[in-house]
Amino acid sequence: MRIEILGTGCPKCQATEQIVRKALAELGMEAEVVHVSDPRKFGEYGVILTPAVAIDGQVKLSGYVPSVEEIKRLLVR
Amino acid sequence: MTWWQVILSGFEALKDYIALHVLTCLIPAFLLAGAMVTFISREAIVRYMGAATSKLKAFALAAGGSFFVAACSCTVIPVASGLYYGGAGVGPAFILLWVAPAANILALVYTGTILGEKIVAVRLIAALLMAFAVGGVMSLAFRKEEKARAEPNPSQTTQVQTKVMKRPDVILLLLLVLALLAPNYIVQRGPYYQKVIVWAVGMAIAFGYAFLTKTREEIGHWMRETWWFVRLIFPLLLAGVFVVGIIGALLPEAWVTEWLGGASLRSSFLATLIGAMSYFATMTEAPLVHKLMGLGMGTGPALALLLTGPGLSLPNWLAIARVFGVKKALVYVPTLVVLGTLVGWIAGNTVLR
Repeated sequence: MRIEILGTGCPKCQATEQIVRKALAELGMEAEVVHVSDPRKFGEYGVILTPAVAIDGQVKLSGYVPSVEEIKRLLVR
Repeated sequence: MTWWQVILSGFEALKDYIALHVLTCLIPAFLLAGAMVTFISREAIVRYMGAATSKLKAFALAAGGSFFVAACSCTVIPVASGLYYGGAGVGPAFILLWVAPAANILALVYTGTILGEKIVAVRLIAALLMAFAVGGVMSLAFRKEEKARAEPNPSQTTQVQTKVMKRPDVILLLLLVLALLAPNYIVQRGPYYQKVIVWAVGMAIAFGYAFLTKTREEIGHWMRETWWFVRLIFPLLLAGVFVVGIIGALLPEAWVTEWLGGASLRSSFLATLIGAMSYFATMTEAPLVHKLMGLGMGTGPALALLLTGPGLSLPNWLAIARVFGVKKALVYVPTLVVLGTLVGWIAGNTVLR
């Protein structure tokens, strides 16, 4: 699995990355986590509000820092 | 004046500020900001902007919608670039970039409680006029490039179906705006505890309504967003007030009156330059302007500083140049400096005299 965090490196985006890593750790899952910070890429994904989380190229949520529970739900699905 | 007196005046300013503003002004403001982020679909607003067909409509949507996109100039760059690279015109993208920090609801309401409603009304109108001018200049300067760019991606524009906000959300936001305004308008003079009572009633009504109409998950989401605003803006605000206190102690009154007083073109230009270069976190511009006005700054230059302060800064120029290209930054920044100077000068000699 490949998880992309779309964000400009702002505090909220970093918090999102930590939350994703935490969710992965709590579930005992392995995944590649990348931080995408080029705004041109956001356009390709159709993402307007950061931070956003994309799993395997599909945008799952955008515009806020998710909770660990929310990420877990997305990962398990 | 010795150095410790200078530091002391910084703490003095901080003490006054915390005593007078945190409870009745900042707490409702942060709650409002959190609620705006949670309950208004900024996604829908921005998509509407990108999908608008005629230029005038796109400009109007961008200027109007930006009021609700709030709040910090650091978060608006990715939003504007998302809009631009998502297919919207260069005009609307730069309007958003300008209006969201310069005239969002949060900053306007906060300015009102500190500086009074007249200057806020002028700030609002001036920001809108400047938005249309900036959008026009950008579209005109880059018209060749705009033609060459692909049409807006249809797969994205057809997604405009999500509602911007539902009725209970509108009511909740209005209640929060009232809770923010009431203590400062109903109790203009009189002891502070009266303000606190009005504040408590306002907050109780807003929260009562929220608990009746929102799920626990939604309220949790709202509180988390509010907490983010507190974490991001509050330290900057405190640092800003501290610096303002020090500046107030160091700056000779004669100097302020000489360079920033009256309504001359020069004062207005200097105020615009200060605003355009230094970094103001959303809302910190209000206490600074308040202090400078106390020292003799004219209302026209004050308006110029209020307008360009939160919207522009050196770091922000660099970020715009990196994201949109150096050429666009070179058109955008000087255009705003010229407009800010003119607006401050004209308003200072007419409506704000």
